[in-house]
Amino acid sequence: MVRHRLVPPLLSIAAALVASFLLVFLAAPIVELVGVGGGEGLRRLSSDAELREALALTALCATAATIIGALCATPLAYLLARHEFPGRAVLSAVLDLPLLIPHPVAGIALLLVLGRESALGGAALAAGIRIVGTPLGIIAAMLFVSAPLFVSGAREAFARVDPRFEGVARTLGDTPWRAFHRVTLPLAGRGLLAAAVVMWARAVSEFGAIVILTYNPKVVSVLSYDRFTSYGLQEALPVAAALALLALVPLTVLRALRVDRREET
Amino acid sequence: MIQLERVSATKGRFRLAEISFALAAGSYGVVIGPAGSGKTTLLEVLAGLVPVREGHVRLDGVERRRMPPESRDIGLVYQQAYLFPHLSVAQNVAYGARDTETQTEVVERLGVAPLLARDVAGLSGGERQLVALARALARRPRLLLLDEPFSALDPRRRALVRREVRDLHRGWGLTTLQVTHDFAEAGLLGDQAILLDAGRVLQSGPPAEVFGRPASPYVAEFLGAENVFAGTARPWSPSGDAGRSEGAGDGSALDPEADAPVVGDRQQAMAFETGTLTFYAVGDFAAGAGHAVIRAEEVTVARDQTYYSARNRFSGRVLEVATLGALTRVTVDVRGTPIVAAVSTQSARDLALAPDLAVVVSFKAMAVHLC
Repeated sequence: MVRHRLVPPLLSIAAALVASFLLVFLAAPIVELVGVGGGEGLRRLSSDAELREALALTALCATAATIIGALCATPLAYLLARHEFPGRAVLSAVLDLPLLIPHPVAGIALLLVLGRESALGGAALAAGIRIVGTPLGIIAAMLFVSAPLFVSGAREAFARVDPRFEGVARTLGDTPWRAFHRVTLPLAGRGLLAAAVVMWARAVSEFGAIVILTYNPKVVSVLSYDRFTSYGLQEALPVAAALALLALVPLTVLRALRVDRREET
Repeated sequence: MIQLERVSATKGRFRLAEISFALAAGSYGVVIGPAGSGKTTLLEVLAGLVPVREGHVRLDGVERRRMPPESRDIGLVYQQAYLFPHLSVAQNVAYGARDTETQTEVVERLGVAPLLARDVAGLSGGERQLVALARALARRPRLLLLDEPFSALDPRRRALVRREVRDLHRGWGLTTLQVTHDFAEAGLLGDQAILLDAGRVLQSGPPAEVFGRPASPYVAEFLGAENVFAGTARPWSPSGDAGRSEGAGDGSALDPEADAPVVGDRQQAMAFETGTLTFYAVGDFAAGAGHAVIRAEEVTVARDQTYYSARNRFSGRVLEVATLGALTRVTVDVRGTPIVAAVSTQSARDLALAPDLAVVVSFKAMAVHLC
């Protein structure tokens, strides 16, 4: 009996130890990176023009990718959350594919579709639009790897809104579109914003696909890699720390949103 | 007029099957049935929120099966209210309002005015239902669909709101269909009752008929009939057969002159045998009836046999006396068969009813429904 009573506390202690190990393993490198290189990274913002430009380019491209992703993926997420239809499971699986393949492979796949030799890339080039080797390539790579995260988050956000709210709005005279933007969209708004923040953060962090499509101009992740391979760890450290700080901005916003929601409920 | 003809609809795994009933324009219908019987789904079918797979939905004689909800001119109030949480109470009420005048009238009549400045999040369940009702009525729909709209209101407010809704229904000629679990409310409000179970209509008609003449023993028991007996029925002639209640076993005889029920064209006189008892019944019965239903309020209890006009009369002993406010339920053992009577608590006191007391229970032949 005594032994039986001791098991749960022992299990709890073991679980806490294992969890602590994982927590330290996940947090320590980032804390160390920001601690060692964060100050220098912030100082370099005034003196290192290439870093400033890379940060601005990263933020702009990630924002553009997020806007495009949100506009295109919102109807898709709504469809997946609200309707049963043949092929729904296949569609969901296809949307998860970019998350499952290595990102350099994603870059190569994108190159096949958007490169000058491809039908789409050739047509764009003929129209005067170059994708590979330009910010458009960066946006395409960011969109490819991060849009599935938005779809997933937005789908959850819509699923949390009881369809009867829309039903009531319809009985009160709203067309489906009007009910969507007057009721569903505001109610799912916070979840959609959280999904967009996650997508933006993922886009900012992308390296593998971008480096294949557009090495120059450099986003921060590529610049960090470039400094590391050209000048070593000491030069790469401030750039990497600046990138980590940039990624922390959306994370902080996301956490703030979740805290607000808990307080409301 | 609402007319449903063999309507089948599916919502998730639940299926409404071959629903047919008609509700006259301007009348008040009540939908009753156990939990999960499809009452809310039925309202959603009428609202156009759940698609109809088969059958016809006619509103005012026009096929509306494929008409979108926004074109149906309906108001729908769910039990959970579904107030839009991102809008204020005032914005909720105004959401689909036909005009300011109607909105103001509804707000005043339902007593919603003090709530207008408040946040939805701060409302109680009853207040939410009230606001949802005001929101639906402010549209002044032609058809009002109510899904247990008064369930969270306190008794006093419930009575007031029920009266206002009934007045608006009459004043506006508003066809109303309300889901309720409250049989008293169903009897009070409804011109027509529709009884649903497992996605099918078991019975529909005026509440008095549905409650008094249930179509099956299941319906009778669901509707709270206390006396449901299984047995066999045979024809009986009130004039030719010396009808006698046989349960007493004490030689008490029926005076044929005192109770000679008038048997109309469509009515039959039947003798129903259950165990050692025989009940006499007069009414319009379905062939092959195997159950007798007697509502407790139709059964009278007395201490002696000095005078009775009722055809059915039995001596027995009181098993149980349960007082519920103004009414007292008395269970009497008649040769092993319990018969429940509902008498006024005052009568129960006057008769000094107590367990083991010898009494006589009686009920008229017209009070026995065979199904």
